[in-house]
Amino acid sequence: MELDLFVRYGPDLLRGFGVTILCWIVGSVGGLLLGFAIACLYRWSIRPVRWIIDLYVELIRGTPFMIQLFILYYGGPYLGLVLTPVQAGILSFIVYGSPYFAEIFRSGFNAVPKGQIEAARCVGLSEARIMRRIILPQMLVPITAPLTNFIIILSKETAILSVVTVPELLYETQTMAAETFTYIEPFLVLSLFYWLMVIVTSWLGGRVEARVTRHLKRT
Amino acid sequence: MNTKTPSAATEALISVRNMSKSFKDFEALRDITLDVNRSEVVCLIGPSGSGKSTLLRCLNFLEAYDTGEVRLEGELIGWQEGTAQPRRRVAAGTLRRQRQHIGMVFQQFNLWPHLTALENVAEALIQVKGLGKKAAQDAAMAALTKVHLSDKAQNHPANLSGGQQQRVAIARAIAMEPRVMLFDEPTSALDPELVGEVLTVMKEMAAEGMTMVVVTHEMGFAAHVADRVAFLDKGRLVTLAPPADIFGREPDDPRVRSFLQTYRERNVV
Ligand SMILES: Nc1ncnc2c1ncn2[C@@H]1O[C@H](COP(=O)(O)OP(=O)(O)OP(=O)(O)O)[C@@H](O)[C@H]1O
Ligand SMILES: [Mg+2]
Repeated sequence: MELDLFVRYGPDLLRGFGVTILCWIVGSVGGLLLGFAIACLYRWSIRPVRWIIDLYVELIRGTPFMIQLFILYYGGPYLGLVLTPVQAGILSFIVYGSPYFAEIFRSGFNAVPKGQIEAARCVGLSEARIMRRIILPQMLVPITAPLTNFIIILSKETAILSVVTVPELLYETQTMAAETFTYIEPFLVLSLFYWLMVIVTSWLGGRVEARVTRHLKRT
Repeated sequence: MNTKTPSAATEALISVRNMSKSFKDFEALRDITLDVNRSEVVCLIGPSGSGKSTLLRCLNFLEAYDTGEVRLEGELIGWQEGTAQPRRRVAAGTLRRQRQHIGMVFQQFNLWPHLTALENVAEALIQVKGLGKKAAQDAAMAALTKVHLSDKAQNHPANLSGGQQQRVAIARAIAMEPRVMLFDEPTSALDPELVGEVLTVMKEMAAEGMTMVVVTHEMGFAAHVADRVAFLDKGRLVTLAPPADIFGREPDDPRVRSFLQTYRERNVV
């Protein structure tokens, strides 16, 4: 293994890793928030709005992420939406993740027994209060694992951003490989970085899960 | 006397007029007319599926009734006043205000498991009545004391017996100082030895003058505590009479007779 290669390309790889993390975290948090908004909107809306949401969910889930990214990045300018590669990457990530997050939240809402919500309505709690005080705290338990899971999946989807020249990890790794004609080492390092993200995420998810299930263990 | 604003003493607290409710094609309630007076206890009895729960849930608009009226102290519940068809629902805030005055207790308790008994009771006092934290806790504690559970205030529902959970649920409702309390089979999910403690609390409430509408299979409670008993069958109000007329002698209506007969055979009455 040629270590001086990594001395030379280390900064680029690290920068790529930084971009990956940026797109991943901003994209995940954005997708999470958008997904939550979609799930709430669905819950409180009249039927026509629900149809629109259903259509959106089907559309996004029914097309590959790469196509969505292409459409946003190359098609955006025709609609006056000119984005840098990183902006396009983050935005498409948010859009791509939102229906999956929404679905997780929707199942979380349903995990809280209907009777508890009726009891809350009977004492006059508003729908927003019911969401914040009754549903959210309880749905954390069933949604933490699927959320962690999906965020891990997203971490690896960041690699696709390289197709629109987002200077993320895969992009930098490919550059390095092409310029130095080494393949094994760069991709081993690449794997290491992704593995790191996965490990940290699942560890964090585990911590959150332990926290939110605390009250269930009380005897 | 002015007919528009009858005095509080004579006006029915709850007044149900020609109320009907269907689920799709199925007619769950048909043309129900029923007055509940202040401090009165009305028990609803009848076979399974006769519409007892549906009637109760229409009173606080958990189910939207189709036609007819439900009024609490003269105010139409759930629908906007007026004759325009189709009727429009009242604003969400209005419905919340109306519901504040109608306490409800469910068969399955429906406590919020992530909150302590005290927090279950205090929640709406803070969020709906706008009490400060301390005032809400004091009021919640007072309500828990009423149901003889002041020593369990810090327990989570998982650490309470069914009877205790149901009493917390009652405390949660009465803490809001409702004008009327609705009970939907409050003891049906309880082990037999825990039924008594809940019925005792309900009797105490009745003795203090709380207006109550109680769906129950406890014929003993209906016979001894109710002022009037309503018998429902297939969505219709068949009989509405003092308990003595229903339990004391052979009821006139064959449906009531056969219903009570099955109870006697099971030695429940
Ligand atoms: N949400 C609903 N959708 C469709 N049908 C319903 C719904 N709720 C109740 N019903 C039907 O309406 C009828 C009356 O139901 P309800 O729950 O009021 O009966 P009940 O007298 O309370 O019976 P039980 O003693 O078993 O509790 C039943 O036939 C029931 O299947
Ligand atoms: Mg019922």
